[in-house]
Amino acid sequence: MSHIHIPDGVLPLWIVAAGWVVTALLLALCIRRVDSGDVKRKLPLIGIVSALMIAGMTLEIVPIAYHINLSIIAGILLGPALAFVSVFIVDLIISMFGHGGITVVGLNTMVIGAEAVLGYYLFQAFRTVMAGRRAGWASALAAVMSLFLSTSIMLGVVYVSHINPAAALHTEEAAHDTHGGPAGDVETEGGLDFGRFVKTIFLLAPLGWALEAAVTGLVVSYLYRVRPDLVASEKT
Amino acid sequence: MDVSAIDYYANHGGSFLHRASAPPKLVFAGLVIASVVVTRDFYFLLGAYITLAALVFRTGLPAPRVITIAAYPAIFALIFAAAGWNGDWIGAGVIILKALTAALASVIVIVTTPYPDVFASLRPFLPKIIAEGLFLTYRSLFLLLDLMDNLLKALRVRGGISRGKIVRNVVNFSSGIGLLLVRGLDISEKFYGVMRVRGYDGKLSGGYVRGGSPACGAGAVLTGAAILALALSIRYEPGLESLGVYFVYAALPALALSAAWGLYPKWEAEAWKKS
Repeated sequence: MSHIHIPDGVLPLWIVAAGWVVTALLLALCIRRVDSGDVKRKLPLIGIVSALMIAGMTLEIVPIAYHINLSIIAGILLGPALAFVSVFIVDLIISMFGHGGITVVGLNTMVIGAEAVLGYYLFQAFRTVMAGRRAGWASALAAVMSLFLSTSIMLGVVYVSHINPAAALHTEEAAHDTHGGPAGDVETEGGLDFGRFVKTIFLLAPLGWALEAAVTGLVVSYLYRVRPDLVASEKT
Repeated sequence: MDVSAIDYYANHGGSFLHRASAPPKLVFAGLVIASVVVTRDFYFLLGAYITLAALVFRTGLPAPRVITIAAYPAIFALIFAAAGWNGDWIGAGVIILKALTAALASVIVIVTTPYPDVFASLRPFLPKIIAEGLFLTYRSLFLLLDLMDNLLKALRVRGGISRGKIVRNVVNFSSGIGLLLVRGLDISEKFYGVMRVRGYDGKLSGGYVRGGSPACGAGAVLTGAAILALALSIRYEPGLESLGVYFVYAALPALALSAAWGLYPKWEAEAWKKS
């Protein structure tokens, strides 16, 4: 739900550039944070998790125009720093297939990376609260909250860029329910009812969140039964 | 998105774009995307899209399939156009063509360039962990797609995915993803062990840029530069706004000729017709 599918050349250049700068800084921070020995050991895991995210993102659930990101699972398995790196790799690859513009890779990494990082910390917090039991429920709750926050970040991007917001989501109902301004180079002139748009999104988005939370919870629950070391190990 | 087909096209073609090395083709895609960012002209975008479609035919690859792969972002562009609809067809067309043109430029690069070459070209600009991660993700993707194919068949055969049983489908599908992860991890850990035995110390070998035909590379860059120059002229030079229409007139015969060339059987086109 939070993946920005705005084509190249639609968002204002300054916000695209800001997305790249912030992502570059966050990537540098993440890479500095992880131990180089740990990275060598985890590279195959990064590869598999990133590949799984790509596979998930290419499976479009047509009726609600939604695809799962599996970013919270990436956060739980890789830890916040490596998950952010993994999200960048995923966004870079899928942008080459035309899935999300190449120029918005920075913004997409910020939004989905936030999902992964928040997912990790919230999962740890919920597991602590639940005394280490019910990993599935902890991850599902973490998924719902992370998606709520990342969708809010995406709405923030839409708000500051002053574009017609329905483009930022692949939610047809939202598109029909929004009276946008002129498309052109996408400066709206008073046609945007942002408050109404936010209400519409938060009315529809929970469908996607519920699906992603269910998948995340069930996958983490399965992994906890079969390979608990993956879910419970220390992450950076 | 058929990753296997894209990989096959990239590795088995013999067109002038296949013969060009990766860096000039990346520059070509960058120039086209820059022109898409710069322009607001519907006719220019239409001309650029037709030109790129002509290039696709010229590669000898199955053009309808390649163009379909690149049409994916049109779905979202249509939603965007619908959201901003004010009765102006040209405005809606600009949004849709921006998405299609940028995506087709990217897809032309990936269907004519093996992915390791693309990543190797990006390597100097990326931190080591990301460069290595790109290679390993690419490799893992094929591994995972194989596993996923088998898993989906197994789920269907055993009744794990059935119509109308949404909750059961989600539970089985999620367990399937978990199983994929575990099996993928097992394989990747074995892969890591093999890499260590062979002396892996954090740097994969083989990530180098393969040389291609300089003439073909120059052709790709010049095409991209011409498209960008045209976009800049139309946008910033007063009196040149009508160039976009002439661009369409010039691109249409090019498309017709390329399509005819693509239909004419030859060695590089034969492979796709047989497969």
